[in-house]
Amino acid sequence: MTSPTTDDLQAITEQVWLSYLDPEGTNPFLPSEQAPTMPCVIAAVSVTGAWEGHVVMSFSTEASKKASSALLGMEDEEVTTDDIADAVGELVNVIGGNVKSLLPDGSLLSLPHVATIDEGVNKWPAAVEVCRLQGSWQNEPIAISVWTSKSTG
Amino acid sequence: MVIDDSRAMRLILRRIVTQLGFEVVEAGNGREALDLLESMDQPPQVALIDWNMPEMNGLEFVTAVRSQERFRQITLMMVTTESEHGQIVRALAAGAHEYVIKPFTPEAITEKLALLGLVPSGTMS
Repeated sequence: MTSPTTDDLQAITEQVWLSYLDPEGTNPFLPSEQAPTMPCVIAAVSVTGAWEGHVVMSFSTEASKKASSALLGMEDEEVTTDDIADAVGELVNVIGGNVKSLLPDGSLLSLPHVATIDEGVNKWPAAVEVCRLQGSWQNEPIAISVWTSKSTG
Repeated sequence: MVIDDSRAMRLILRRIVTQLGFEVVEAGNGREALDLLESMDQPPQVALIDWNMPEMNGLEFVTAVRSQERFRQITLMMVTTESEHGQIVRALAAGAHEYVIKPFTPEAITEKLALLGLVPSGTMS
């Protein structure tokens, strides 16, 4: 069974950025070694069925605000926690849906889950990371990763 | 009518179709959309419908709308991340007229609406 790769994640992310966050192509997501540190905002969708796992986006708090303000057409300082939950939830939904298109037919995508992690480590029990794309957007770190359940990995 | 559980996505679609001259009403899921349809004197020309929504998903909404004669003239367009061939076939078989996969550009939505005869060909948003 083939699994998504970092190159797949990069291609999907570029398309999502061009469609929603950077339509002029002037402010792209730039892959780098930079990863969000705590506190951060985590948005995730789970895949069940023929393939089981998670697609996870991690944003610095500032990145989550910038992404939300860009999607919702607001100023950064006007963005509320509800706005962030809606906007980054939709981003992970779109990226997760496109990751799912690379997986076997018969996989189902959950509704998104969004949480703010203030400290500690974000863990995905019983899952192993398949691939990861890290980078920055407007100088703020964002990471996208795909995890597969150990039972199906 | 724009039906999506994400306010951000509803806003993106609203911007696109408003520029094309449509007036827009929004619903956060299929159930809300059906309730809204019941309350409207004049059904909308077109509904842009997400698939994966709480309470009533897009496929269930399409099926419900197609079961009612008075809503027959509404053009139904799925706008979703769901890209599995079998799912696309299910949506079209249930009565959806067109299918757009997220992420989309404004041009893709405009092109599909033009194909459906809802905006003039060659219109750019």
